[in-house]
Amino acid sequence: MINIENLSKSYGGHQVLKGINLSLAAGQVHGIVGENGAGKTTLFKCIAGLEDYEGSIQSAFNPLKNHLGLLPTDPFFFSKITGREYLLLLCNARLLPPTDLDAKNIFDLPLNQYASTYSTGMKKKLALTAILLQNNEVFILDEPFNGVDIHSNMVITEIIQKLRSLGKTVLISSHIFSTLNDTCDRIYLLKEGLFVRQADRDGFGDLEAEMRAFTVGDRVARLGLG
Amino acid sequence: MNPIRHYFQLQFTLLNRHISEFGLVPWLGYLLSILLFSGLSFFLYYRTEYAPYLLVFGAFSAVLNMGERTRNDFLKSIFKSEEYRKIRLFENGIIAIPFIIILLVKGDYWMALATAAGSILMAFVQFGRSSNFTLPTPFRRWPFEFSMGFRKTFYFHLLAYFLTFMAISVGNFNLGVFSLVLVFMVCLTYYSEVEVTYYVWIHAQQPTSFLWLKIKTELLYSSILSLPVAITLCFFNPGYWHIILAFQLLGYAYLSTLILAKYSAFPSSMGLPQSILLALCFTMPPLLLVAAWLFYRQSTRRLQPILP
Repeated sequence: MINIENLSKSYGGHQVLKGINLSLAAGQVHGIVGENGAGKTTLFKCIAGLEDYEGSIQSAFNPLKNHLGLLPTDPFFFSKITGREYLLLLCNARLLPPTDLDAKNIFDLPLNQYASTYSTGMKKKLALTAILLQNNEVFILDEPFNGVDIHSNMVITEIIQKLRSLGKTVLISSHIFSTLNDTCDRIYLLKEGLFVRQADRDGFGDLEAEMRAFTVGDRVARLGLG
Repeated sequence: MNPIRHYFQLQFTLLNRHISEFGLVPWLGYLLSILLFSGLSFFLYYRTEYAPYLLVFGAFSAVLNMGERTRNDFLKSIFKSEEYRKIRLFENGIIAIPFIIILLVKGDYWMALATAAGSILMAFVQFGRSSNFTLPTPFRRWPFEFSMGFRKTFYFHLLAYFLTFMAISVGNFNLGVFSLVLVFMVCLTYYSEVEVTYYVWIHAQQPTSFLWLKIKTELLYSSILSLPVAITLCFFNPGYWHIILAFQLLGYAYLSTLILAKYSAFPSSMGLPQSILLALCFTMPPLLLVAAWLFYRQSTRRLQPILP
């Protein structure tokens, strides 16, 4: 369980998170939706300890970051590092003996090629594979489906469901509501740094309809496309 | 394996790859780097009394790069906090040691100490923190190399303007010239990285006009940054206007040649031949004419498939 209380974060005079309260239970998948700039990535970075913040984040793991796998929207790779070396680096960072990387290369990535030559989706899959090999207890997946082909999309959905069954804590963000629908136990709507709405599985349909009505509104009509 | 040890072994492998792709066997690359670095450092000591300052500046610039935010966020997210600190300390140490050795050999003990202390302190500082503040620049019309570069290095320009002020205050003309050179040296770094092909492809121009656009932009924008220094120096040292003009023109020439050199290898990074020729130009400025012409011919050839 991770308890986040009254979490706030500002950049200069701009407050990005305004007193977030959130409980992330083990064995559950929590989804966060919100417009670009709503504060999703900032929230993830605060939980991962990459940003300082006001408020508190408490968990059974101390420190949390040593048990947490973070999949950033745009993963970082050293220049000239191969996929295999990247996986080894992340395993070694947690003192885990890397065993049979080829068998665990479930996305069939060309591990001996430079990661910089990978497509966006391949980079995402490599970074995801790496944090899965680390055997983390908590997973924060920022846009895990972005740029990923439909087949891998299905595999990622299966992986998230497997993580849930293993009692892991998973927090994901996605702009594709259907992917959250398939994977999440609870979805939170983040707007201007605050959770304005949350829904359990039986309320996902209403939440999506509300978001559609609110987000789309008359925007398309305003374009005057005819 | 110890995570820190594995990390540095991996970095060594990656460095060897960079050297190999540059066209050298790794051991020769290291040997040449040592010779080039020592040679250049002693040449600086021979030519200017400000050599120790330049070395400290060089050390801090190199160390500064290691504190880049995305890279550090990645390291923080994969290593334990203590390991991350050790890695950053080792990295900064490895980078600063060559500079410190030269400073010690030349007897500049305080400068060596300052470099060591600064490098250690910078291991605990992360640069480029997220902020909603956007640094305004005067480079609005063609917002690319200069806008991005200026935002990363504006403090060096502030330093150059401060040095100009000091040069005028204490009547030290050489320091003034150094501040002008510093402005151009910083501008040179704006063209050190190769952009992705897309940023060239979007231009509806042929190679020659594309290169001319790049050079025109560089001439205009480097003038915005350097002319305040040059004009101030001319105003307070009217008898030396020809020296200031010569340095100003040399600055333009080096920048333009670097642009041509960069595109002469496009879309790859500059290789050994370009680097050697550029290094020769720095020691013998008249060579710039030949180099610029050669790089121009190669650039137009390399850009032709992207800008037909």
